[in-house]
Amino acid sequence: MLPLQSEILLPERIAGLLGLSGTVGQIVGGLLGAFLIANLLLVQTAIAGPWAKRKITAAFTDRIAVNRVGPFGLAVIIADAVRLLSKELIIPEGVDRPAYDLGPLLVPFSALLGFAVIPMGNGIHLADPETGAVFAFAASSIASLGLVMMGYASNNKYSLIGGLRAIASNIAYEIPLIVTAASVIIFTGTLQMSEIVAQQTEPLLTIAGVTVPQWFAFVNPFAFVLFVVANLAEVGRNPFDVPEAPTEIVAGYQTEYSSVYFVLIYLGEFIHIFLGGALAATLFLGGPAGPVLPGFVWFLIKIWGFYLFTQWARSAIPRLRIDQFLDVGWKGMLVLSFANLVLTAVIVGVIA
Amino acid sequence: MSLEEPTPEDGAVEVLPTEGDEIADLLGDLVVDREEHVNAPGFVIRPDTVQETLTRLRDEAGFDHLSCVTAEEREDRYESIYHLTSFDDRQREVSVIVPTAKDDPVSESAEPVFRTADWHEREAYDLIGIDYDDHPDLRRILLPDTWQGHPLSQNYDQDRPQIVTLKEWENPLAEDHREDEGDTMYVNIGPHHPATHGVLHVKTVLDGEQVADVDPDIGYLHRCEEQMCQTKTYRHQIMPYPDRWDYASSGLLNEWAYARAAEDLNDIEVPEYAQIIRTMGAELCRICSHMLAVGTFALDVYGDFTAIFMYAMRDREKTQNILEDLTGQRMMFNYFRLGGVVWDLPEPRDEFFELIRDFLDDLPEAVEEYHDLITSNEILQSRTIDTGVLPPEVAKSYGATGPVARGSGIDYDLRRDDPYGYYDELEWDVITEDGCDNFSRLLVRMREVEESAKIIEQCVDLLEDWPEEERNIQANVPRTLRPDDDKEIYRAVEGAKGELGIYIRADGTEKPGRFKIRSPCFSNLQTLPEMSNGEYIPDMVASLGSLDIVLGEVDR
Repeated sequence: MLPLQSEILLPERIAGLLGLSGTVGQIVGGLLGAFLIANLLLVQTAIAGPWAKRKITAAFTDRIAVNRVGPFGLAVIIADAVRLLSKELIIPEGVDRPAYDLGPLLVPFSALLGFAVIPMGNGIHLADPETGAVFAFAASSIASLGLVMMGYASNNKYSLIGGLRAIASNIAYEIPLIVTAASVIIFTGTLQMSEIVAQQTEPLLTIAGVTVPQWFAFVNPFAFVLFVVANLAEVGRNPFDVPEAPTEIVAGYQTEYSSVYFVLIYLGEFIHIFLGGALAATLFLGGPAGPVLPGFVWFLIKIWGFYLFTQWARSAIPRLRIDQFLDVGWKGMLVLSFANLVLTAVIVGVIA
Repeated sequence: MSLEEPTPEDGAVEVLPTEGDEIADLLGDLVVDREEHVNAPGFVIRPDTVQETLTRLRDEAGFDHLSCVTAEEREDRYESIYHLTSFDDRQREVSVIVPTAKDDPVSESAEPVFRTADWHEREAYDLIGIDYDDHPDLRRILLPDTWQGHPLSQNYDQDRPQIVTLKEWENPLAEDHREDEGDTMYVNIGPHHPATHGVLHVKTVLDGEQVADVDPDIGYLHRCEEQMCQTKTYRHQIMPYPDRWDYASSGLLNEWAYARAAEDLNDIEVPEYAQIIRTMGAELCRICSHMLAVGTFALDVYGDFTAIFMYAMRDREKTQNILEDLTGQRMMFNYFRLGGVVWDLPEPRDEFFELIRDFLDDLPEAVEEYHDLITSNEILQSRTIDTGVLPPEVAKSYGATGPVARGSGIDYDLRRDDPYGYYDELEWDVITEDGCDNFSRLLVRMREVEESAKIIEQCVDLLEDWPEEERNIQANVPRTLRPDDDKEIYRAVEGAKGELGIYIRADGTEKPGRFKIRSPCFSNLQTLPEMSNGEYIPDMVASLGSLDIVLGEVDR
């Protein structure tokens, strides 16, 4: 059996291919690797945003959606990119710069940063520090800072309310998210992403000749459900899209953004959804593991599966009110996630 | 009619004074003069006894529904007419006429008795120029504050353009707080906001996430509909306008309001066959309108373009297609004529009936799907149950009608209580829900769709078997209608949003002397502060959605 996770990380491999070594090799390899992975994600976001989102939502709501430009309407991606980037960038009076400009930048970059430690299979893995899991969560949390900056700097009351709601939601749901992730760490005993993935390749049980791997979604489905729900709140999709809440506060923190900034915010949101999917895949679904197809393809399938799930939730589930939303977070998710953590710790402690 | 007829043994009903003389006895010295309107006896009172008269009529004679306030300027006086009726028995009506002097048009406000008079009197002040004493907040309602003159008064110069620039008119959007100190935040929701369903401006004071005060600001879509109707002839020219009041596909219901008032004014009998077609068309419009209401309400609660919105639009599209076949138009039908309808059902009739029957056959399944997606959804229930509560007494005081009233448990439906068309010949029920909340109003609409489907089905049965030689779609109506001078009528029909009334005063010409529209949305919207104060912003938005207002009808 081929190792799912190659020992050599992407920057080293690139350095090797270029024949560079030492510090120069590390820097050039690292930059090129980061460039590659960032572009990979941007391409996916480009497909997800202007095209897949429309097609998926249309399928849920009995419509056809984009089908005029290119095969299956795919060329709408180019058309939309040109359209959005050529729009006027309106900076309202009285905004607080540079916070107003930095906010939209922080959102996508924090999400991209998180991808640095995600093993995507077939050796596409930028860095593998021992604190990988912590790094990923920490990086993705930086986005909250961007949201506050946008909400506060926009000089708009809807933005302000949206920014405050975003913070409330991030605090309320990030704790259950990380505590649930910690229950996986109890199993693995390590924060290193490659190690977490490697441990999930062990067989859990065999049914009728089919070996079921020890994915933590199978080992502890309860934690997986908690994680996915908390993740949904993290990326702000129904029933948790309270921070944006188009029918209540127009568009929340992004009300005053247009053109390129608007693109950046949406880019950030989509990359966050993918990061959420990638974390769920790495921690619970064996990372890039899967039969027959190459690891990277499985990785893509998993993160797109999560993306599909968020769009499904968006089309079918009503939004909670802000107080109910916080109740669910603090009184429900937090309690359940701690119960899960303690229970996991006890079980692991007893077995081991 | 499956509902119980009010029994004559019911003592309470019998005691209440209904005839003109009985009411005159009740009012005693308050009555200065008597008038006779086509729909009701009229009593002229002095302008300083409005509250006393209305209180007495409300408390002692059961006239608990101030349906409409019409104001007009006559040659020698100003006049405010209070059209009173009763929620228990819609056919008991009385008009209270309050003349005021030309040089000093001051009249006592009815607001302390009926809260609905608040907005109605503001409108009268705005458009006619009557001052109401004791009114809590007498300012313009439809026109901007800087407007000069009162457009429906007689000496108003209609040719002078009035352009109200932002500079002249202190921009109401500029304020960002009401007081210098305080913990509240002032937010303008609208005029351009995803949840206002049109150009409505809700001045909102927030205390954190909670609504401390809301004040709906209307008039952005005021198109002088009343004035336009006053310059058109009864026979043909007015009919296209009602389509533009509640333009969200209740066209035929609106047309019926005008048709009913004008037909009663001119003593026109509508042939039975035409009445059935009217009834069928009107109920199709009601389904159309309720589908839109349910879909957009879900949109307000769900927040994104979700499945339920598109499903509702899909089913609405089917009725829209039927209506298009029937009338030749998708939205602005212009299908009714005084004395009937403009043309018979489309040929081949079999195909048309087939189309309706297909729609009716599919409807139960579609409604079931809605119940799956919305009413049985726990999140939606927790969002809507016990939010936007409107107790029945408050609803009555504000003159709320239609699904809003029926969602508060008020058993009031003009189709049954003041029968017109063919409704009293058919089997159907008036839907009420006792929850008084957003959820009840949603349920009422969804269940009313099923009742409308019942009515349509019976109409189709009747139309199918109707003998070919008796298909009379139009009564014999004179080419020019000139009702007698000073003949007055106030008639209402059950529109999709509630009681849609028309007051017409004839002046002996072929055009109305005064044409007043009582819009159900106008009265219903007034209840928004009652429902929203103290609730969360999302509940305010949901309440607004549950009122199902169409700004074209609010502003007229």
